[in-house]
Amino acid sequence: MKTSLILRYIFLAVFNAGVFYAIPLSIAFESWFLLVLIIINTILINVVYLTDRFKPMKWILPGMLFMISFVVFPAIYNSYVSFTNWSTGHILNKTQAIQVLEDRTYTPEDQKGVEFDIYIFQDQNLDFYFFADLDEDNLYFGKAVFDEDISEAIIATHEPSLKINGEIVAPEGFYQLSGKEQIANAETLQEMSLVINKNTRAKLYKISVFGSSTGRLSSTKQLYTYDESKDALIDGSNDAVCPSDGDNFVCQGKEIDPGWRIFVGLENYEKLFSSQRIRGPLNLVTKWTFQFALLTVFFSFFVGLLLSLVLNKEKLKFQRVYRSLFILPYAIPAFVSVLVWKGLLNPDFGVINSWLGPLYELLDIEPIKWLKTKESARAAVLLVNTWLGFPYMFLITTGALQSIPKELIEAAKVDGATGIQSFWRITFPLLMVSISPLLIGSFAFNFNNFTLIFLLSGGGPPVIGSEVAVGWTDILISFTYKLAISGGRGNLFGLASSVTIIVFGIVLLISALSFRYTKRLERIYGNI
Amino acid sequence: MKTNKLRFIVFLLMFSLVAVACGGDTADDAAEAPDTTEAPKETLAAPATTAPPPEVIVVWAEQKVADALNPLVGAYEAAAGVDVEVVVYDFGAIRTDVQTAGPAGEGPDVFLGAHDWVGELAANGVVSPLDLGSVASDLFDVGVTAFSYGGEVYGFPYATEAIAMYYNADLVDSVPTTWEEAKAACDAAGTELCVGAPGGGGGGDAYHNHPFVASAGGYVFASEGGFDASDVGLDNAGALASAEYLDGLVKNGTVASTDYGGSMSAFQEGRSLFWMTGPWARNDASAVNYGVGLIPQFDGNAATPFVGVRGAMVSAFSDKQVLAQSFILDFFATVDVQQSMYEADPRLPATKSLFAIVEAADPVAAVFAASAANGIPMPNIPEMGNVWGPLGDAMLIIRDQNYGTNEETGVTVSSATDAMKLAAEQVRNAIAGG
Repeated sequence: MKTSLILRYIFLAVFNAGVFYAIPLSIAFESWFLLVLIIINTILINVVYLTDRFKPMKWILPGMLFMISFVVFPAIYNSYVSFTNWSTGHILNKTQAIQVLEDRTYTPEDQKGVEFDIYIFQDQNLDFYFFADLDEDNLYFGKAVFDEDISEAIIATHEPSLKINGEIVAPEGFYQLSGKEQIANAETLQEMSLVINKNTRAKLYKISVFGSSTGRLSSTKQLYTYDESKDALIDGSNDAVCPSDGDNFVCQGKEIDPGWRIFVGLENYEKLFSSQRIRGPLNLVTKWTFQFALLTVFFSFFVGLLLSLVLNKEKLKFQRVYRSLFILPYAIPAFVSVLVWKGLLNPDFGVINSWLGPLYELLDIEPIKWLKTKESARAAVLLVNTWLGFPYMFLITTGALQSIPKELIEAAKVDGATGIQSFWRITFPLLMVSISPLLIGSFAFNFNNFTLIFLLSGGGPPVIGSEVAVGWTDILISFTYKLAISGGRGNLFGLASSVTIIVFGIVLLISALSFRYTKRLERIYGNI
Repeated sequence: MKTNKLRFIVFLLMFSLVAVACGGDTADDAAEAPDTTEAPKETLAAPATTAPPPEVIVVWAEQKVADALNPLVGAYEAAAGVDVEVVVYDFGAIRTDVQTAGPAGEGPDVFLGAHDWVGELAANGVVSPLDLGSVASDLFDVGVTAFSYGGEVYGFPYATEAIAMYYNADLVDSVPTTWEEAKAACDAAGTELCVGAPGGGGGGDAYHNHPFVASAGGYVFASEGGFDASDVGLDNAGALASAEYLDGLVKNGTVASTDYGGSMSAFQEGRSLFWMTGPWARNDASAVNYGVGLIPQFDGNAATPFVGVRGAMVSAFSDKQVLAQSFILDFFATVDVQQSMYEADPRLPATKSLFAIVEAADPVAAVFAASAANGIPMPNIPEMGNVWGPLGDAMLIIRDQNYGTNEETGVTVSSATDAMKLAAEQVRNAIAGG
């Protein structure tokens, strides 16, 4: 057998073993979507790699699966969220919300804060009995029942004989549970209660291993009961009917938390475009996002190209050393260098202003308040991003320059072209053929360069007079973040998702247009 | 959670059974397997007299707190026969992950967090009310108020924190009671900066700036029996007066334009005489010989910092409510645990019994406590999310003297009054606009 075949079988065996582990896991956690996905993928992979019928698929499939799981799925999920009301107060689904609401009990006002010792007993049948020591005249003893049996429960009786001189005496045939034993049975005991009278029950609230456990009183009824036929909650404390308004139950004009997630259709998008308070800042931010991305690409490409041209001279000494040095900014993680830059730019103690100090004095001007004014903040953002971006441009242009045939330049020289002429007529157009897709990629990346903005300026300084909190250096994605975490009542995931969908659309459109333009470039210069 | 694990094991075993059956003539193995699948079921139904596997209480806590809790839980584990699993969690992530992991059945039973999460968590239905009972009498009111939302208490407060004023004890003896005297002290000491306070220098920070908003009668939300989102007091007479007062302090160089890092390095390097921040910074401040005093008064009104309270809460999605409550009230609330927590992470004690111990041993903590006593808890309603941005920005404009006109909207902010009015309007609009 060939090694490749053995390797292939080993890979498949490992993969299928992983699937065997994952399938029961996803059944146990009831994630049916994941289960379907796993099964489809398993069949696909096994069919493709066990037969020789789908040769091209063998190369494409892994990439395709990764793309689907890391690009397509998040995008689809994001657009799904943008059509929902997902936000603070609406993060559960309806079933969960109703369950949370139905789990609520209530304590009538006069019994609130009543705390008493409670003792747990077991008889020979291992049934639980509670003894609630409310006060001397109310020493209730009886069989504890589950919630669903409350209506048939025997009401507890006053049993002073169980407490003699402050000591608890277990009745004949009963065993008193210690704290440790109560804890071992806590999950059962917490569902049980001792019915004291028609309306009141005693429940175990706190198990103490250091003293006696304590109980609380509550109503025998649950606070809310869901009536499916009316799609409404019944408030047990005052029998009010609380109809649903779509994503919340409304009791006497007041929305009851928690609500639940629903589809709201295009509501988020409508809000984005119709609400003046969002539209104004959105315009401003969109404009700056374009400027930021374009200028960043331009500056970093300019600096990178210049350096690569300079260092492309063959006779240059230490060429490699220079080249490695200029790659350094690219090698340091951005979130480290951005924070360093933030320190350097500090207007009061930063290195940059202290270096520029003599210059300020010479020109008799106010020191620049880096990151504090609109212009300086935008300039700083561009400066830092150029610094972060030029090594990449330097790297790719150096590579591209070396791939341009030298004969072309020599031929131009023979024809009497100057250096500048041959650069603009020959080198640059040829460069653009291979570089422009990368420039577009860089544009798309910087369009969403959240790290830089968030770490360097936090979007600031604030735009004075804007109705929502927005800063002069906020780009769409950082604005989205602000929108997502500081909405009307906390988080507005739905609304923020709709902004990201719009960002996605913009980037898609620009990329598509630019790639068409690049194709044209290739047609023009490709056959030189 | 536990049922999920159990079901996973059962499914896994059933699956392996199928796999084994497919393998052909291994009938012996197949016959053995059912016994193992039934084993977990048996323990579930086991009577109380046989010892079932110990219950596990999952606690989410940040690193420092987890480090303090871990050596202590052993005693409780032994006494109660439970396993306490303290999971180290990034503090901020607890807030978000409780909301996603809880409904998915993966969340903690008990989690330790900040009181200002309570509104959001309660609105989302992921936190259970906690009846403090007799423990409440040992707690300072500010802590209980902080955890109250919609008539219920949602947590056991274990630590409070509020900012006060550090001073460089080599250069000055104490923090003066008025800002004028503070300025005079700085002039006498000749430091480059006077008061370094976070919330300027490009870094908006409504929290540290709160004394400049609320000390003369301003407030974020009215707090008569629970915070009222419809009553925003950022532009009332008191708020405007104290904002203008701050404007004066910035203009005459008393309050420096610094963000958190800037104010810290200035204090550590002896370039500022005072540093306005909280007890968490004591290690950082110890770069110089420091003391702590109350923040100077505003026209005879004590400075009112925001009080942040940390507490233990019970997840609504825990299927061990009574155990979780017992863990908090019977173990976590005890003085011993509180004291160890304090030693690991010196925030102000929230219980009176611990405060009595701390006060004698640590006068600096007592000053922070006195500062907190003058303060008010940060509003815990979800609407507070609308306040941090606009208020931080407005205070930043004042702190950095960044007045001007916005050419896009045509709005001019030419004074501290304008900035506060704008912030109030932004907050009201955001709340109304949902």
